[in-house]
Amino acid sequence: MKLSARYNRANVLAAIIVLLVSGLCYYFIIRSVLLNQLDNDLKVEEQEIIDYVKLNKNLPDPSDYKDQKVSFQEAGDHPVKRVFSSLTIFSKEENENISSRQIVFPINTGGKNFAVSISKSEEETEDLIQLILLITLGIVLVLLLVLFVINRFLLNKLWQPFNSTLTELKQFNLSNNPKLQLESSSIKEFADLNDAVTVMSNRVNQDYTALKNFTENASHEMQTPLAIINSKLDVLIQDEMLSEFQTQQLQGIYNALDRLSNLNQSLLLLTRIENSQFKGSDDISLDNLIKEKLDQFEELLEDKKIKTTTRLEKTIIQCNKQLADILISNLLTNAIRYNQQGGTVTITLSRNELCISNNSFLPSLDTSQVFQRFYRHSSTKQDGNGLGLSIVKQICDMAGYSITYRFNNDQHEFVVNF
Amino acid sequence: MKILLVEDEKALSESITAYLKGEDYVCETAADFSTALEKTELHTYDCILLDITLPGGSGLQILKELKKNNKLDGVLIISAKNAIDDKVAGLKLGADDYLAKPFHLSELSARIAAIIRRKNFEGNNVIRFNDISIDTLAKAVSVNDKPLDLTKKEYELLLYFVSNKRRVISKNAITEHLWGDDMPGNNDFIYTHIKNLRKKLLDTAHADYIKSVYGMGYKFTDE
Repeated sequence: MKLSARYNRANVLAAIIVLLVSGLCYYFIIRSVLLNQLDNDLKVEEQEIIDYVKLNKNLPDPSDYKDQKVSFQEAGDHPVKRVFSSLTIFSKEENENISSRQIVFPINTGGKNFAVSISKSEEETEDLIQLILLITLGIVLVLLLVLFVINRFLLNKLWQPFNSTLTELKQFNLSNNPKLQLESSSIKEFADLNDAVTVMSNRVNQDYTALKNFTENASHEMQTPLAIINSKLDVLIQDEMLSEFQTQQLQGIYNALDRLSNLNQSLLLLTRIENSQFKGSDDISLDNLIKEKLDQFEELLEDKKIKTTTRLEKTIIQCNKQLADILISNLLTNAIRYNQQGGTVTITLSRNELCISNNSFLPSLDTSQVFQRFYRHSSTKQDGNGLGLSIVKQICDMAGYSITYRFNNDQHEFVVNF
Repeated sequence: MKILLVEDEKALSESITAYLKGEDYVCETAADFSTALEKTELHTYDCILLDITLPGGSGLQILKELKKNNKLDGVLIISAKNAIDDKVAGLKLGADDYLAKPFHLSELSARIAAIIRRKNFEGNNVIRFNDISIDTLAKAVSVNDKPLDLTKKEYELLLYFVSNKRRVISKNAITEHLWGDDMPGNNDFIYTHIKNLRKKLLDTAHADYIKSVYGMGYKFTDE
């Protein structure tokens, strides 16, 4: 729920309750004031009748006007209590019931007890109350409307800096868009927020850069010792006195060294792609590139007796040449490396989609982890360095392609959408 | 052939010198910027192996000076900074080739040979080893003037062997040379190519030049 809607709801609800309660209070207070006034009027009439009876020793004529009736009733021996009451009286003139206020009081004249009742119409009072209610209702409506408009426009305008900060934060990306462009705000809370966010993003950027530099530097620093070991081995194997056992040990060192340099180079490559060090984009003829790569891997495919099926449409993409090369190379390498003897590789290239599928001795891979660094299926030998697909993913992210993996009919499928 | 090795890592420099001495190369070394600059100004080399990060300055600066003075020495950059920019900058400044560390010495030797060939044998790109001649321009091989039909990989293999003649080359170095370092799987299948090349040479040259070294590598030799 939006903050403004929430705020609106509370605001409007509170306004309605307050106005209703105050309306009710208003109603009762005014009503009692007006009744009090009517009662006073009735008391004046009462006094007039008492005075008249004192003076004339008989009752005045009963009267029946629209707004005031006076009537007398012989009470006999019943004592009459002086009492005020509200009641409805049928009016012949208006042909309807009219709510009235009445006073009944005893009077004694000529030795007889009379109950005098004076009633006054409450019509005017009712009219007044109705008017007051109407006005109150009108105010409620106007107030609600004003509140709504204020909330709608003013709040939206007030929250605008917050929203723009939020949009910036959503687009924040350490590798692509590490600079936040925050609007300055004259509202303290938002200015504070922006300051905090800026400080945080700067710190994150610094940490990230430090980490990236560390990886790159560490990999660089490792190149030289690796080069030394390699060269020493190359010199060492020239020795004609080496025994078979010794050369076997040396071969073990060579293989481990190859794996280590491979891993190091892959790590370097990953950080370089992350650091956007591959600039420029070329027109790459993907179908030709795939054919070239298949040629390059020809011996391997033959060695494993892998059958390749290709359906390649002419496709040109815009991509850094080196990265395109690595992308295709890594995907094909995987399709061959994890293939079984006598397996198949199917490559389909259409205008905006490349699909490479192969069968394998491996069951379905974990889709959520397949592109993670150093992810290997538990049953693979330590063959690849576990970075090939991370590099593929990184290249796709950089170039704005999407890549998905699925397992279909015993086929591992990698689909790149350009 | 005179070679200048500009490299500040002593251990690496020693290995390279030791390996290249076996060829017919005279190898001088320079371990820092000023020594390297002085040597390149005073002498002419067939090939300069140039590291980029040096104490006292950048190898690229030495390259600039060479070009400014119209020196024709071949230049092979060997750098741990495999940054693309460095490679592009180096080649743009007129380096002949670029080799990233770590590398196999046999690869280095083959690259040096290629550079010297391009510099020295203008119009004559034929390498001879006994009765074998390799025309690097036409990429054709003949034995006793009779053409020998080789596949592309066999040709590259032969050229690599001849550039490292009488030295043991590890299987890893051969695989990397022929297929690059993103080769999936093990390197046992190079055996097929070597077997084929060996057989063709046996049939035509009647000599078994390729010797296996305990399954670890090969040596191309007439000894």
